[in-house]
Amino acid sequence: MTDDKFDRGSALTVFPSDRYEDVMALVLSLAIALLVYLFVN
Amino acid sequence: MVYTRRTFWPLVVGIVMVAYAYLVQSGVLAGLIKFLGTDRHVGEMLILSYTFGGIAIVSGLWQLVAPPKEGNGDYLLSMIGGVVFIMLVAFIVKWGLDPLMGQWGRAAQPALGFNFASVLNLNYVVMGILAGIIIVNLFRVPDWAENGVRLSRLGLKTGVILLGTLYSLAELAKLGRLSVVLIGIFVLGSVGVVLWIGARRNMPNSMTGVLSAGVGVCGVSAAVAAAPVVRAKSVEIAYTIGTILLFGVLCMFIFPIIGKALGMGYIQFGAWAGTGILNSAQVAGAALAFQPNGIETLKVAEIFNITRVLFLPIIVLWLAVWYVRREAGAQQVDLVQVVVGKFPVFVLGFILMFALSSTGIFAPALHYQGAYFDNSEKALTSKDKEGKPVSKLLGDKDLDALRAEAGKVQREDQKVALGRLIENRKLMSIDDDDVLRGVVNAKIMSKASNDVLVKAHRAVRHTAKKIAKFRDLIAWFFTFGLVGLGMQITAASIRQAGGQPLVIGSIVGVIKAVGSLIVVWFLVAETV
Repeated sequence: MTDDKFDRGSALTVFPSDRYEDVMALVLSLAIALLVYLFVN
Repeated sequence: MVYTRRTFWPLVVGIVMVAYAYLVQSGVLAGLIKFLGTDRHVGEMLILSYTFGGIAIVSGLWQLVAPPKEGNGDYLLSMIGGVVFIMLVAFIVKWGLDPLMGQWGRAAQPALGFNFASVLNLNYVVMGILAGIIIVNLFRVPDWAENGVRLSRLGLKTGVILLGTLYSLAELAKLGRLSVVLIGIFVLGSVGVVLWIGARRNMPNSMTGVLSAGVGVCGVSAAVAAAPVVRAKSVEIAYTIGTILLFGVLCMFIFPIIGKALGMGYIQFGAWAGTGILNSAQVAGAALAFQPNGIETLKVAEIFNITRVLFLPIIVLWLAVWYVRREAGAQQVDLVQVVVGKFPVFVLGFILMFALSSTGIFAPALHYQGAYFDNSEKALTSKDKEGKPVSKLLGDKDLDALRAEAGKVQREDQKVALGRLIENRKLMSIDDDDVLRGVVNAKIMSKASNDVLVKAHRAVRHTAKKIAKFRDLIAWFFTFGLVGLGMQITAASIRQAGGQPLVIGSIVGVIKAVGSLIVVWFLVAETV
């Protein structure tokens, strides 16, 4: 896969930047952690 | 640019997933599931197959019916194809290849003398990457899945953040001072040496970073955790894992031979294996090869191994700062500004999860990967089907069996631990539990008495459900991320990377093995 195949993101990510991807991973993880904390017992 | 493709393939994949879930639910595949030993995964098989299958069917139908139109909706919709494609491969790896490889490994053990699946680390992590590499090199990633495959790094980063929940500061504090100091020197030293050599040989920072974590900390999982921190390319992760496994397997066979030739004791050899061998699976293999009829060596090696795993948060933080500085260039830069601008935010997430886990909100604070010791009355009481309380304390018959064979136990610490167990009907400490595990493994008493000891062990050892759930989720995020990363490793990119990482990894591995042997030989007596 090469960069020119996509006009958004890069060859490695769909997000506009690494920082954006990091924040999305963080949000996703926190949401998962909250769900596990609340509902798994 | 329009991303969605007018194809029926996502619909087909969705139908396959839902059909699989239905066959599992209706019991048609019960025989296969039993054969593979994947009974405990039935719940996630149903949830994941129905969920992803349903999403694939809906999006697949939408793609066929609605004409594609450029925009955010088109961009988001096109990602679903890649996600379900990766998940389909991940299902095959986790529910098929992984257990199958375990079966083959055990079946071949009598002939080979070792479990090749365990020794070669042929678990879902390695097989996920291999599956991705095979798909992209022998076939190709289909057009309709290409956009979604780029979500694999998001999966990997999410997995790394959640990985923080498995460790706790209290566990690190509990470990022996010597193991912390010894491991600290070798972990930090190995990472430092790889970073230094990598810089001198002008290796890419990403390659050097991921190799240093793999060689320095605990092998494959550390390499995977550090990869997004240093923005490592897929091929660099594959190279690092290849180096670690190759070197680890060699060490697993060579270490016990050297240990026996030098007349090392259990503690010395355990400390050396736990420090010098790069990957956890091979540490256990070497310890058991050195002492097949007891667990003293394995226990020491595990303590050293756990210690270095617990260094992971420190290394992740170090590599994050190191990488940011290196990438900023040699010129004088404002470190604070660079860190604020470029520091990988997800590393903070990992540290945050580690801190949360250390407070004890997911499991008792003194846990390691969710496992903890608790012999309180509440922990030793369960409920039967009618809701009546059932005690897990040893019964009179159990105690009679132990008393009858207590004379066979010769070692003083084992005698004392056994006495305490008989007196209290339960194990009174982690140490007693560990000591009596040695009695079980050495098969000093009859099977009936050993079963009583195992029963007492199980009564006080617990796994936190929240951490168990995190482990399952982490495994899925890693499988998803690694299958997707494997799909980005082409033969051309491997040729481009050259053999330098293998050479540097092996040099540092040898330095670490020899260095730790010298230190252990002179510093570690038979008691830690």
